[in-house]
Amino acid sequence: MQDHGKRPLIFPKWVDSLRPVVFGVASIVPVYALVLLYYGGSPRTTDVGYMPAQPVPYSHTVHAGDLGIDCRYCHTTVEDTAHAAVPPTQTCMNCHTGIHPESPQLVPVRESFSTGLPVRWVRVHDLPDYVYFDHSAHVSRGVGCVECHDRVDKMDTVVQAQPLSMGWCLDCHRNPDPHLRPLDEVTNMVWEPPGDRAELGARLRERYGIAPSEDCSTCHR
Amino acid sequence: MSSLDPTTDSGRPRSFWRSLDERADTPEFRQFVEREFPAWADEMLEPASRRRFLQLMGASMALAGMTACRWPAEPIVPFAHRPAGFVPGEPLHYATALELAGAAVGLLVTSYDGRPIKVEGNPDHAYGLGGTLAWHQAALLDLYDPDRSQHVAQREAGPASWDDFVAFARPHFDALRAVRGSRLAVLADASSSPSRADMRARFTAAFPDARWYEYEPLSRDNAREGARLAFGRPQRTHVALDRAETILSLDEDFLLHHPAAVRYARDFVLGRDPDGATFSRLWVVETSPSLTGSVADRRIAIPNRAIQAFATCVLAKLVHEAGADLPAALDGLGPVLDAARRHPMYGRVDADLVLDLAGKAGRTVVLAGPRLPAETHALVHALNATLGNVGRTVTYTAEPDPDRPSHAQAIRDLARDMGRNFVDTLVLVGGNPVYDAPADLGFGDLLARVKTSIRLGAYEDETSRVCTWHVPRAHIFESWGDARDFGGTVCLIQPLIEPLHGGRTDLDLLAQLLGEAPFAAYEIVRRTFARGAAEPDPRAWHEALRVGVVAGTAWPEAGPTIGTAGWSKRLRAALDAPAYPEPGSYELVFGPDASVIDGRFANNGWLQELADPLTKLTWDNAVIVAPATAAEMGVRHGDVVRVTRSGTSVELPVFVLPGQAPRTVGATLGYGRTRAGRVGSGAGFDVYPLRVGDDTAWADVRVEPTGRTYRLATTQDHFAIDTLGAQERAERAVTLVREVELEAWRHDPQHAMPGEHAVAPVELWKPHEYPDERWGMAIDLNACTGCGACVVACQAENNIPIVGKAEVARGREMHWIRIDRYFAGAPDAPEIVHQPVTCHHCENAPCEQVCPVGATVHDAEGLNVMVYNRCIGTRYCNNNCPYKVRRFNWFNNQKHQSDLEVMIYNPDVTVRSRGVMEKCTFCLQRIQSVRIQARNEQVRGENGRAAGRLIRDGEIVPACAQACPTRAIDFGDLNDPESRVHRKHASPRAYRMLAEFNVRPRTAYLARVRNRGGHPEGAA
Repeated sequence: MQDHGKRPLIFPKWVDSLRPVVFGVASIVPVYALVLLYYGGSPRTTDVGYMPAQPVPYSHTVHAGDLGIDCRYCHTTVEDTAHAAVPPTQTCMNCHTGIHPESPQLVPVRESFSTGLPVRWVRVHDLPDYVYFDHSAHVSRGVGCVECHDRVDKMDTVVQAQPLSMGWCLDCHRNPDPHLRPLDEVTNMVWEPPGDRAELGARLRERYGIAPSEDCSTCHR
Repeated sequence: MSSLDPTTDSGRPRSFWRSLDERADTPEFRQFVEREFPAWADEMLEPASRRRFLQLMGASMALAGMTACRWPAEPIVPFAHRPAGFVPGEPLHYATALELAGAAVGLLVTSYDGRPIKVEGNPDHAYGLGGTLAWHQAALLDLYDPDRSQHVAQREAGPASWDDFVAFARPHFDALRAVRGSRLAVLADASSSPSRADMRARFTAAFPDARWYEYEPLSRDNAREGARLAFGRPQRTHVALDRAETILSLDEDFLLHHPAAVRYARDFVLGRDPDGATFSRLWVVETSPSLTGSVADRRIAIPNRAIQAFATCVLAKLVHEAGADLPAALDGLGPVLDAARRHPMYGRVDADLVLDLAGKAGRTVVLAGPRLPAETHALVHALNATLGNVGRTVTYTAEPDPDRPSHAQAIRDLARDMGRNFVDTLVLVGGNPVYDAPADLGFGDLLARVKTSIRLGAYEDETSRVCTWHVPRAHIFESWGDARDFGGTVCLIQPLIEPLHGGRTDLDLLAQLLGEAPFAAYEIVRRTFARGAAEPDPRAWHEALRVGVVAGTAWPEAGPTIGTAGWSKRLRAALDAPAYPEPGSYELVFGPDASVIDGRFANNGWLQELADPLTKLTWDNAVIVAPATAAEMGVRHGDVVRVTRSGTSVELPVFVLPGQAPRTVGATLGYGRTRAGRVGSGAGFDVYPLRVGDDTAWADVRVEPTGRTYRLATTQDHFAIDTLGAQERAERAVTLVREVELEAWRHDPQHAMPGEHAVAPVELWKPHEYPDERWGMAIDLNACTGCGACVVACQAENNIPIVGKAEVARGREMHWIRIDRYFAGAPDAPEIVHQPVTCHHCENAPCEQVCPVGATVHDAEGLNVMVYNRCIGTRYCNNNCPYKVRRFNWFNNQKHQSDLEVMIYNPDVTVRSRGVMEKCTFCLQRIQSVRIQARNEQVRGENGRAAGRLIRDGEIVPACAQACPTRAIDFGDLNDPESRVHRKHASPRAYRMLAEFNVRPRTAYLARVRNRGGHPEGAA
């Protein structure tokens, strides 16, 4: 090591004794890679079934299902912007000043409304920060809410139903036809295609000029 | 036709070079370019460093195992009551303004969920027209600076609260009011704010015996005084550079250090359209190389003290030899002009210059810089009057506040009063006089003796340290206020965010001292806006806030009458002064710095890392010496010298820069701060100690070598586009930066360009087709002034980290766009070309062909995209990039940032981690956002809800193009024959850099057009 200036990157002799260790590690690597691949794709990793408790036991079953309120009544920005914004407390209170005004379950909502402090909801569908998903680009091309979020109208507590992995995104980008519907049925949770779904999808794809991109730059910036 | 030929008389190609090292092909330079990553060798050769590397590796492996367990839970925090017009996750833009050098430029600040994240120019503001300079862009970083002062402080008691201050101030100022404010003084920074003027009037009314001083270390008071000499009253000069055929700039850096620089840069370039009717010729007479000097067609480098004599000789030659008629009012100059004939400078005045000026009444402009004495400014008014420019290319407005003493006088008067113990209470509004007042005043000691001193400042800096009270000043983006632009139009300043640290504005503080309501700035601005009415007209108020400017508030044009009384004699006497310093001494010229100006931006990492436009120096200043002068002194680049002026010495490194006038040296102010903050303290060298007395422009100094050397982090040789050896480089450089002479261009545009290597492309595979959009860029070298606004704009938009001086010195700066500065010609009188270089998005990209993991690929529109998650950091791509525009993250640069610092990040751009390559994306996030918008509308058109449309030309503007004050950068669809970028690509001036490699770059450069006139090489 003294004359490292001349022979800088040559290892000393005792390193040879490490050879068995190196080979040992190298033989484990394929096993490790397989395990990594298996767990990397498992629902446990992709968070399918993630169902965190929310500060208010808001039920989509009641609101979207039984009462039939359109998704866009609360998620107002979904057609125009990237985010399907969680509504402000004001939206809840539009109805709940009159309906169940004393409900103990709504205490956090009423508190938020009077103090102006927000309700801290827990994000369920959480994409990595390097993914730039845009709701408007999908909703205004005839991709229904239900395609990614499943039957939210049957969820008392919202649960992540799809893996939201890149492969899953690409499945649809490569073959969008079975996932398309007319624009006015986008928020309809119970819509059934009148005939062959794929055939209708192909027609809609033509009509809306849909050519889903598989470029990296579509979602990553 | 000689000028058509890229070769000079000697038959060798006209050579471009980036540094003297490169020109001489020294071992240092060769070593730098031969190693792709120059730091690599040092690092791996140091055993300690390798051990450190293994330690770090081990640590990160251990952490990797622990953090992979669970995704973090993320809250969603919606508004309780969402404000009207607010859409979560969608940026909003607010008009505000930033005042620098006493004049405002209108800005539009992008706010993302309440966080200001990006600054743009306000297109509705006549002095910005949507452009900015680097300072406007970088002002945002100060907002999130963790070193900004965060609480009120009292010298003995330490941290205090605003209430403590109020509890002290109320009785204190009530008592002062009772004695009419005697022994009370205010020292304020320069401000054009009408509200501040109103508060000052109220303050003076409440405290009639109090004194109000105004001080800026770099002021334009000489111009005020010069106009007072010529016209009897201070006038502000406005020039129409777009209408001038000849521009003579005497030491005036109107492209950078001028209150109207953004507008003037635009006008200047408008007046130099190679396809238009007029193309101005710019003559620059200056001492130190400036940005304006770097774009000059003809540049004359003489000592600062000689410029006045030069200007006198210009006028004399015009009158004596070119038959210009001296107006009758200027008859008093007759004897001066006669005497000028015998002056040695008379012969230096180029006959071409006289020809360019004479007989073009109203089509020329002469400007004088703020360093020149008042008499020179008066003389320039005389020159413009003689040339018939007044009322055409030169107009005047009355200066506001004509009776205030000059800044130099004010600080001197205050120091005198303080020295005599006439000041018991001193209020300091902004500024930093302890650091930047003339050194002979000993301002710091005087201030420390004042019984009560109250400082409103953004930082607890050199000045706050010796004051009894410090009050944090709100950042401009936290403030209500107003300011006037150079033409007088009022710009409103509105806050983007609540003060992060409880800062107060100057209006708030003055209101408190006057006993008016606290938190008053908003009400004061509205009161000023209402102009006497009880309430402003709500519609006018909201419109002014929306647009950012108050219509109809520009100053009216004045028609002052010129006279020679009082200054022609001084002009005559000045002719007898020597033009050069005495042997053995050198003229040191003080200048504003292109990054920190006078020191106010010292703690701004973006500006510290922004390379100076001329020296390409980062994180430091140096004493600028011409090569011949350096040889005379016996010093080399990087040597530390001792610069002595009458007993006071400063030691600083030498930067050998071609273009500095003989017998002179230059140094910029604003460095060597001791209490600037973590970024600015200790960066560079303080030359204020040499700036004593009334000579604030220059000083005669002795320069002695100390025998020590200093490592300067200059980027001038970084990413040099090298091929094989100096000769090859010289030949190739002709093709990298191309120039064409105006006459040749006008004669035959199709054949004026220097030839390029004709290469028949051989395709290895079938080229891709791009049927939809084909994004491309065009950079007009004729419009680029090299100011650096694009570099900082890109840094802000794309979350580019600051890496620090040591890393810059290793060639690891992260800027996605760099401005290469080339010299051409002889080192004693070089010409300069600025060339912004960023990713060319080659259709046949060499980087993509060597990436082992497909981390850089093309998308359907031909963008060369970088997939950070795939990148494993082999850096082969950078090795194979002919333009050297890829940057590698050697460190996790954002790892140790506080919650405050990360607020500045643009959420639309991924923050990159260690070990990942990155580069210009053509602002992909802006392309995507416009595309999604346009496509949404298009699809909905089918349903009859909105009209369908395609992306319009000019709708997508990358950050660099948006910031550019001269619109040098265009971006758009090359498939659209009507697009601006397509038309520019089709221009005969267009060329593609290194096209012979068949990389098919998407960026085209438009050749620089020189208008040298008589001299083929421009050396005067």
